[in-house]
Amino acid sequence: MKKVFLEGAISPEFIADSIAKHQGKHSIGAHNIFLGQVRADEVGDNKVVAIEYTTYEEMANEKLHEIREAAFEKFNLTCLHIYHSLGKVGVGEICIFVFVSSPRRKQVYEATEWLVNQVKEHVPIFGKEILDNADHQWKVNS
Amino acid sequence: MITVNYFGNIAEATQSDSETLDQKSMSLEELLNLLDSKYDIRKFQFQVAVNRKIIPKQQVLTISDSDEVALLPPFAGG
Repeated sequence: MKKVFLEGAISPEFIADSIAKHQGKHSIGAHNIFLGQVRADEVGDNKVVAIEYTTYEEMANEKLHEIREAAFEKFNLTCLHIYHSLGKVGVGEICIFVFVSSPRRKQVYEATEWLVNQVKEHVPIFGKEILDNADHQWKVNS
Repeated sequence: MITVNYFGNIAEATQSDSETLDQKSMSLEELLNLLDSKYDIRKFQFQVAVNRKIIPKQQVLTISDSDEVALLPPFAGG
């Protein structure tokens, strides 16, 4: 089982390091990366300052495994990585990192979008949006 | 024992992430009615997972000893 969940924000150093780790894989000709960043949404007179993520980890890991398997069936990929934050992630910080690699360019665009959609729709992750007045509301993917 | 896991705004309402019910067996309908009488869960939007698979709430199903039920509010990943 590949590790997906990381505590807190995903750092730029972690992302850079993930790219560097692929330099030895010489069949790869194209990478594509999606980074989701926490947005300061306005809620009435208030603003979102952070999202606190929780998950149903056993089910999420099973679902993520199915999504990975399906992606390798569907697209010609050399490798793929999905990382998602748990706990508090502040506005401007990265909460999801999807990294897709293939011999050629065309498939990586499609695969990245498909993977992000699958994670949003099917993986049990919950987000508590913390507002600047310390109140909160629960995020719902639209 | 039947384990019920709560998440998001439902965990907030139940003031707990998980509880075990001292029951050998009950129907899904009975379970949801019991939880509704305790926590008024029907006011929330949620899906039900039994042993980590989502099933329709109306499904005629017997929940047995050692089953793991979860009430899942709308997903918010990404």
